[in-house]
Amino acid sequence: MADLQSITLSPTGQTAHLYEAGDGPPLLLLHPITGIPRWGELHETLSQRFRVIAPYQPGWGPAKDDLPDVDNNLDLVLFNVDLIQTLGVERAHVAGISIGAWIGAELAAIRPDVVQSLTLVNPLGIWSEQHPGEDPFAQHPGWPTAVLFSDPEHRARLLMEGRDQLDAYVEELLDLRASAKFLWPLPDTGVEKRLQRIDCRALVVTSRNDNVVNLAMGDIWRAGIPGAQQRELAESGHLADLEAPAELAQLIQEFALQGATA
Amino acid sequence: MKFHWFNLMPWPHLPDDFRETNRSVWVDVDSRLYDPVEGHRVYHEYLDQLEYAATLGFDGIGVNEHHQNAYGMMPSPQLMAATLSRRTKDVTLLLLGQSIALYNPPTRVAEEMAMLDVMSGGRLVAGFPVGTSMDDNFCFGANPATLRDKYQENHDFILRAWADPDVFAWNGKYNKARYVNIWPRPIQKPHPPIWIPGGGSVETWDFCADNAYNYSYLSFNGYVRGEALMQGFWNRLGELGVEFNPFQGAFAQQIIVAETDDQAQQLYEEHVQYFFDKCLHVHPGFADAPGYRTENTIRVGLRAGGAQGLGIAHTLTWDDWVREGYIVAGSPDSVTEQLETLANKLQVGHLVCLLHCGNMPDDKARASTKLMAEQVIPRIRHIWEDYEDHWSPQPISADRQATPQPVGASN
Repeated sequence: MADLQSITLSPTGQTAHLYEAGDGPPLLLLHPITGIPRWGELHETLSQRFRVIAPYQPGWGPAKDDLPDVDNNLDLVLFNVDLIQTLGVERAHVAGISIGAWIGAELAAIRPDVVQSLTLVNPLGIWSEQHPGEDPFAQHPGWPTAVLFSDPEHRARLLMEGRDQLDAYVEELLDLRASAKFLWPLPDTGVEKRLQRIDCRALVVTSRNDNVVNLAMGDIWRAGIPGAQQRELAESGHLADLEAPAELAQLIQEFALQGATA
Repeated sequence: MKFHWFNLMPWPHLPDDFRETNRSVWVDVDSRLYDPVEGHRVYHEYLDQLEYAATLGFDGIGVNEHHQNAYGMMPSPQLMAATLSRRTKDVTLLLLGQSIALYNPPTRVAEEMAMLDVMSGGRLVAGFPVGTSMDDNFCFGANPATLRDKYQENHDFILRAWADPDVFAWNGKYNKARYVNIWPRPIQKPHPPIWIPGGGSVETWDFCADNAYNYSYLSFNGYVRGEALMQGFWNRLGELGVEFNPFQGAFAQQIIVAETDDQAQQLYEEHVQYFFDKCLHVHPGFADAPGYRTENTIRVGLRAGGAQGLGIAHTLTWDDWVREGYIVAGSPDSVTEQLETLANKLQVGHLVCLLHCGNMPDDKARASTKLMAEQVIPRIRHIWEDYEDHWSPQPISADRQATPQPVGASN
């Protein structure tokens, strides 16, 4: 278990909101479109083997008012570099889900020196006309993230349960707003041309029941990253952190620690 | 009170099973339902109606902007206003409005509105809506997370482009231009009256208060449901110390006038049904892109019980529509009475009269319009006569207005 904490980043003085727990090699865990609804099973499991660092990106959750501070990939990369360096981490394993996978890929491409290994789960950020997937931003306002689950009913249990319903709903909309800032009107971030710069071990994971990121997108991401491996989650929609936490934790753990001598 | 005739310009031939076979009238509506040759006829019919209304003494005639929309076929309100400027006189051209956040840079907006003000001899009202999520975010791809910020910048840009006589550089977040210097410049100084069409965003109220703009509540839910929101606007103005003036508010209302109440229903019910059933059939996923509404507006909306009346009008009957104010309809006496109630409840000085509805044919639209002009407006025009209207155009004097020559006339 970890509590939400706030730290001041160097050199910007920006406040970062994050969960941190566990010993072992540092793992920067980058959240999906829906932010971090709670310290969950994925975090808990990974913290048995890693020092898990799970920040809210500027614009999400408690950092909702920081969205105007970030305009592009570089701003997000610098935020995450500042964060780990403020925490005294020189190099980290990086795992990102959904939009977090895009941020992780940008981080590894722009600052390869700080990334030990890279796991990209259901990555958003490349547009393919052949595989557009569902539009995550054109959903019914009553259940705006239901499409991100393999079964729309899962939203109530996995995302909303245990939270103040009104606040959770507003946060859901604001998290989508933050995502839209970078992925509107379609997820073409330009990262594809930078993937070749990634020089760490990389794993691309897609999920069989992801309505938003088509399985075929995994091939495109893998092909772009030199030497990348590819795996598939059978029982998950887009939000693998919520729908398949145990399986995902195992994948991340096995891959990141694969061949590790320490 | 002032009265403006408005036609949304709907496509009148949507099929009976439109609702079942299409998920939305807007954004991704099937373009195969449109016939350009019939569209030619429809455009001229609608423009003729606007010009007809001008001859009957309406204070203004209105146009607006929608995109990829089968109930609103005016992607460019400027084009429509331009053609109306030629054959009308002494009537306000109510451009309500242009989604100014969509244009980078908004130089073109400033230029075209200045052109219209000059062409019309100073008859333009410039409407600056944020625009709907359907138009802005889904059709034009404008980012909802930055839309309002960009709207603000574009507003500031246009105002300066109209008012600053010198060439200036604009170094904004969304627009950069080294030399801004529009030609022509508007006749009305410092600029045409600015009206802000809104749908209930609380920030918009403060914006209107701070800048002394007219707030126009454009809803299809009618005056009964509109009362709370308009009162919210007036209350907010009061809190901010703005003196009440009904002409700072406008409201759009569907209106039908017939010889009798029964005739109103017999003649017009099918067209109202067409409008609510087909024209308002919008995919909910297009209504509110993430970030389109501010957190404050979302929370206020949730406390008020969510989207009021969203999408239920098509399930109601004629009596429901009239009782709940979705439409003001009936004999001249009935309509007069309902509009007196509207004025009393909403306290607006400007009424945007939606006198064409759905697939209403030309003769019916004209008949209703004529009764409104001759038998209703004269009985309620006196409302608010003690207030001065600061939100209507100030055209040039009649002796300086140019008159277009008949085609082929020699000078």
